Amino acid sequence: MQIAVSGGKGGTGKSTVAINLAVALNNLGIDLTFADLDVEAPNDHLLLGVELGSEEPVMQFMPKFDYSKCTKCRKCAEVCEEHAIITLKDGTPFLMPNLCSGCRACEIVCPVPGAIQEAFRVIGHTYVTETPYGFTLVTGKLKEGEERSMPLVVAAKRKAQELQEGILFVDTAAGTGNTVSKAVEFSNLLIAVTEPTPLGIHDTELILELGNLMEMPTWVVINRSDLGEKERVYELADKYGAEVVAEIPYSENIVRSYVEGKPVVLTEYPEARIFKGLAKKVLEFLGGGE
Amino acid sequence: MQLAIASGKGGVGKSTVTASLLYFLKDEYGLIAVDADAEAPNLGLLLGVDDWEEERDHIGAKVARIETGSCIKCGICMERCPYGCIYIDREGNYVVNELTCEGCNVCGLVCPVTGTITLEEVRSGVVRKATTRYGFPIISAQLDVGRPESGKLVTEEKEWAKRVMEELNLEHMIVDSAAGIGCQVIASLGGADAAILIAEPTPASLSDVQRAYRVVQHFREPAYLIVNKADINPGFTGLVDWAEREGIPILGEVPYDGAIPRSMSLLKPIVEAFPESDASKALKEIAERIKEEILG
Repeated sequence: MQIAVSGGKGGTGKSTVAINLAVALNNLGIDLTFADLDVEAPNDHLLLGVELGSEEPVMQFMPKFDYSKCTKCRKCAEVCEEHAIITLKDGTPFLMPNLCSGCRACEIVCPVPGAIQEAFRVIGHTYVTETPYGFTLVTGKLKEGEERSMPLVVAAKRKAQELQEGILFVDTAAGTGNTVSKAVEFSNLLIAVTEPTPLGIHDTELILELGNLMEMPTWVVINRSDLGEKERVYELADKYGAEVVAEIPYSENIVRSYVEGKPVVLTEYPEARIFKGLAKKVLEFLGGGE
Repeated sequence: MQLAIASGKGGVGKSTVTASLLYFLKDEYGLIAVDADAEAPNLGLLLGVDDWEEERDHIGAKVARIETGSCIKCGICMERCPYGCIYIDREGNYVVNELTCEGCNVCGLVCPVTGTITLEEVRSGVVRKATTRYGFPIISAQLDVGRPESGKLVTEEKEWAKRVMEELNLEHMIVDSAAGIGCQVIASLGGADAAILIAEPTPASLSDVQRAYRVVQHFREPAYLIVNKADINPGFTGLVDWAEREGIPILGEVPYDGAIPRSMSLLKPIVEAFPESDASKALKEIAERIKEEILG
């Protein structure tokens, strides 16, 4: 069982909804493992008020040429879809490490055993954090200057799957490219968090399209529901067969708990009820699905 | 000059600030705007663009396809795919999930049956151009859902923008980058003459803007900071302290203002829709400082 929280536009409240829903689910007795797959800007630990736990580097393959064996046939450069290998006039290959995706296509086509050797570079880290809320948080964090977030999303998601107890609960990055679809892939439920501004609505349509393409049941949460035209979100959800399951009005209580790193669902503020209600709805969904 | 706006974290106000700065700078300079968030392009909306005068498909992404008829179901492709994008469908066939494929062709290279796995070029999105009602042009892009390489779309946008700048003899390119620090942001910051970072005084935004700043440092570009929603977290000094420590000039602070979401609904920059709002006044001062200290 896997649940993903996404949203298209940045800053709509994905992480706020994700951490509060996870805490509320856990309080209902649901086991889960939380994966923060927003590897370019991971923040769930800050919202949960925890320090990142044990760190592990994510190593990515890159070719190391043994020039004493290389026959300068240029096959490695020809096959590299990222154009990360350039060749001199005589065919001597050179790697531009920042472009290398670590796919090993060069190694596969190299006709001389040992001419391409394995080297690795660190492209980021995964962190495993035991939270005081009863679940484990797995965080992926891309190193600054690295361009490709896909390998890190894959590594962090695999790590979370290894440790998975109960539901795998995924928080994704902003956007709707293939790294978001990788994070969302295999979810039994996609929860799209949006705001009812024209910008939020525009980007929500993209994430609903992704939900449809991936054939997954999709829910919509309207955050800051009083700051815009929420009717348009309902119309859009209708068009894509998605259900609007919650409205969260703009709230200073949420802002306060956000900056303090204390999930609002654990407070006495009235907003806590919204997340508790949402958790119950997820529970019903899980019950119905089995 | 090329000026890039970045923030690391999404939703802190990049596009709002960019639209407002464009509005204030348009009369004095020849400008072109680039919306470099191809996965969630919003700048055009904020500038009221509803009609794109020119639109080009961006072909360039590649995805693998498996020909079921000749597949011998050995499973090597699935085993070797670096990103776990090949799976077995309900009928027992090996298929590529096109929404996650990176197009590296490893599956094609390891497949023992020639011609069974092919790498096909697909459309990854569109790049488009419009003239805003304010007179300056905007280049925008939209990645198709689930496609790789949004950074390449941004690179193409900037190349198009450079050609337009030459044609129309424009002076400055203002690039509104995506959230995050990955390929789109690197393509936005690469080649810029200066970066303006936007952040709000929260631990999450601080953490993300610090990461964006490290990317700016890779390119050795001068950086400036705008503090947005400056009053939402009284007592939090981490952001300003960090900027002072790093020697990043703070161009100004913009208060949280309910007029901002209202201006979005009107599809206008806040400084045009509500010029007397507190946020607009702050943005006006920031635009003046940008004229003096950056654009000259």
